[in-house]
Amino acid sequence: MSADRGRPARRLLLGPVQIAAVVVLIFALTEALPGDAAVALAGDQPDPERIARIRESMGLDRSMGGRFGAWVERLAHGDLGTSLVSGRPVADLLADGFGPTLVLAGVTVVLLVPLSVGLGVLAARREGGPVDRLISALTSAVHAVPEFALGVLLITLFALELRWLPPTAVGTDGDLLGRPAVLVLPVVVLLSRPVCTIARLVRAGMIDAMASPYVAHARRQGLSGARVCWTHALPNALAPATQQLARTCDWLLSGVIVVEALFVVPGLGTVLVDAVAARDIPVIQGLALVFGVVTVSVNLVADLVTLRLAPRVEVAA
Amino acid sequence: MSDAEPVAVVRGLRVEVGGRAIVDGVDLTLRAGRITALVGPSGSGKTTTALALLGEYPPGARVTGEVRVVGGGAVGYVPQHPGAVLNPVRRVGVLLRDIARARAGDRRSHREAVHEALRAARIEHPEQVVRRFPHQLSGGQQQRVVVAQALLLGARVVVADEPTTGQDALTRQGVVERLAALAGEGIAVLLLSHDLDVVRRLADEVVLLANGRPVGFGPPARVLPAPEPVEVRPARAGADDGPDADAATEVRLEVRDLTAGYPTGVRREATVLDRLSLTVAPGECLALVGRSGSGKTTLGRCLAGLHSGYRGRIRFDGMPLPRSLRGRTTGQLAAVQYVFQDARASFDEGRPVVDQVARTAVRLRGVYPDAARTQALDTLADLGLAAPVAERRPGALSGGELQRAALARALLARPGVLVCDEITSGLDGAARAELLDLLARSRERIGLSLVLITHDLTAAARLADRIAVLDAGRLVEQGPAGRILTDPRHMFTRSLVRAAGEAVSRGRGGDLDDPDGTDLLGPPRIGREPSDGDRVEPVPGRASEPRGPIGG
Repeated sequence: MSADRGRPARRLLLGPVQIAAVVVLIFALTEALPGDAAVALAGDQPDPERIARIRESMGLDRSMGGRFGAWVERLAHGDLGTSLVSGRPVADLLADGFGPTLVLAGVTVVLLVPLSVGLGVLAARREGGPVDRLISALTSAVHAVPEFALGVLLITLFALELRWLPPTAVGTDGDLLGRPAVLVLPVVVLLSRPVCTIARLVRAGMIDAMASPYVAHARRQGLSGARVCWTHALPNALAPATQQLARTCDWLLSGVIVVEALFVVPGLGTVLVDAVAARDIPVIQGLALVFGVVTVSVNLVADLVTLRLAPRVEVAA
Repeated sequence: MSDAEPVAVVRGLRVEVGGRAIVDGVDLTLRAGRITALVGPSGSGKTTTALALLGEYPPGARVTGEVRVVGGGAVGYVPQHPGAVLNPVRRVGVLLRDIARARAGDRRSHREAVHEALRAARIEHPEQVVRRFPHQLSGGQQQRVVVAQALLLGARVVVADEPTTGQDALTRQGVVERLAALAGEGIAVLLLSHDLDVVRRLADEVVLLANGRPVGFGPPARVLPAPEPVEVRPARAGADDGPDADAATEVRLEVRDLTAGYPTGVRREATVLDRLSLTVAPGECLALVGRSGSGKTTLGRCLAGLHSGYRGRIRFDGMPLPRSLRGRTTGQLAAVQYVFQDARASFDEGRPVVDQVARTAVRLRGVYPDAARTQALDTLADLGLAAPVAERRPGALSGGELQRAALARALLARPGVLVCDEITSGLDGAARAELLDLLARSRERIGLSLVLITHDLTAAARLADRIAVLDAGRLVEQGPAGRILTDPRHMFTRSLVRAAGEAVSRGRGGDLDDPDGTDLLGPPRIGREPSDGDRVEPVPGRASEPRGPIGG
């Protein structure tokens, strides 16, 4: 018993360790970047005095350990620094981008889970029949279409030809929920591939589970078909799908650059593209940190869920 | 005996798959409170008949005849592997409440019903057990949970499919008591077994099956042949003068102060073996006996280099063996070979058996592939597997054949020590006897030292020179086989020997022929004349007999 209680606890402890590792890694990578930020900031006519002043104000004259300490201390107070380009606090920039990304990701996941699980279960219960073959064919076909191709196709058809929906989110100023119509096309594009992978994983897991001795035993006890399917077989089929769902959430929360660019959604992906183009190191650092923390937390939750769904599984810890 | 009310009736059942009858003309009448046993070797149609009672047939089966459960009530099923039918993701309480929900009443009355069923199935502390997952229960507890499910269903008929196969004597005793208790509740029990001891102790009526046809019917005393007494293998000359009298003899394998465990958490370890010391002489057979979970297999795994988490010392011919397989030289790898309990799992499904057997000679002795193949075919033929069989893939071989192939694979390394881990537990009587005989022969021919891990005292008695008894990771007693079996000194050994003896000494009488190899040992399959100078008369009709000193 103690070992079973110890596993979730160990997995929980691992989360902060991973985040600490992400922090160290981001600092090390930034240090390893070529060039001198002070020289870059000094402008077209670098004057040695001015460079020295900038260097002092940025703390670049201190030792590496000292700078790391100061950076971590500021992080601990929630201070991610200021953008080199706009002079705004990095935290504000990230907060602006996080809103639209969160709305897109949230709406997508809320639709994704019932849709993919439903399709997977339906296909598994009709294994080999026309419904199963249709679902399997569609899921592999749709999965083969890249996001940008599907996006362009949908914009052409529904926005430009039929004029049912707005083609982009231009003019919403990041307030996507205020005009839900702009969400429809991006969410469909974001859903397209994850629905396929998760539905296929659920289908495979359900077919295994439905053929298992414990499902046969549950049927022997006179339980209804639906009850056997949803409460006996499905929980056993969900562990792989949970891990895939975590990867999808991670992907969505990091701002899907292609979709944001196509539909002009001012999310985190757009912030990242702008920061990289302008070599805005503090913003890139801040984004890397946010993405790292998101990845670690999402996978932490998924592993805890998997521990419950597959109590015998040793999740890598 | 036939006055009790019949609760299930099978008349003229015939199940045909692909034009071949698996079951043909079987009649059964199950009566309330009576235990009916279906006895026969594997493949005789026991399981097909039993599943017919549950309304389940193999895919594509043509069924004729009548299967009727009086009143149409539910039929409970206790399978050979109860762990497999308990949903791994759901807690025991939830699994049982699913059944209780079908009854009238509220949540509280359902919970009461669940606890009551668990208590009736002899589960102590039901309030703790309902919170566990099935994998957190022992095999015996899992079986009790399945019995509780049947009770909760209100089943009037319970089918128990090989409930004692692969269990040690004490666990078997528990199963016997559990089934007797079910019958005591007025439930009709259909027991499927090739374990004749259990059948003799439990069954009111026996139906013998062979090749799908009933070949005998009646009370066990009349239908089943007389039980064989536990045969005691006489000790080797000079080995009978005390439990630790191996000082003067040569030592091939030496284990000193072995303490082994498995990590259970951060800086925590469950100790499985506790300061264990023993030796094996060249050509000697040491049987490690004990209940499941006593650490027998862990010891075998330490010897073979499969478990490196131990303290202590293991020496082979005086040289220390590295802990892990990776640290061992090719010669050391060949010197200690291991035959696993589950032979099927130890073969690659996709390649012919003979190729996999030959690989040992190539890898461990550097033999050229062609020569290795010839040697493999020879060894397999010695063990009774002809070339056409050996050329097949593992899926086409029976469990007994695969176990012999696994033995051939280990022997081809020309090992000094062979560790056999419960290699007979999945086999029925005839296949088991045959495998033990083959092992005895191979051992004598090449002077092999054997470490026989088993819970089956009969197997130990048949082969072993010495027996070491393990309980909860400690060596509680070791000594010559004859002494341990006839004069056990430690309490635990006594209970083990008593449990095995009871199983055999009941229900004597009856002289019907063995229906095609059940648990009974027929005439000797491999004869050998008793050698001169034996101090004990060999039991007639057995293949193993006293041996002289080493090399004799």
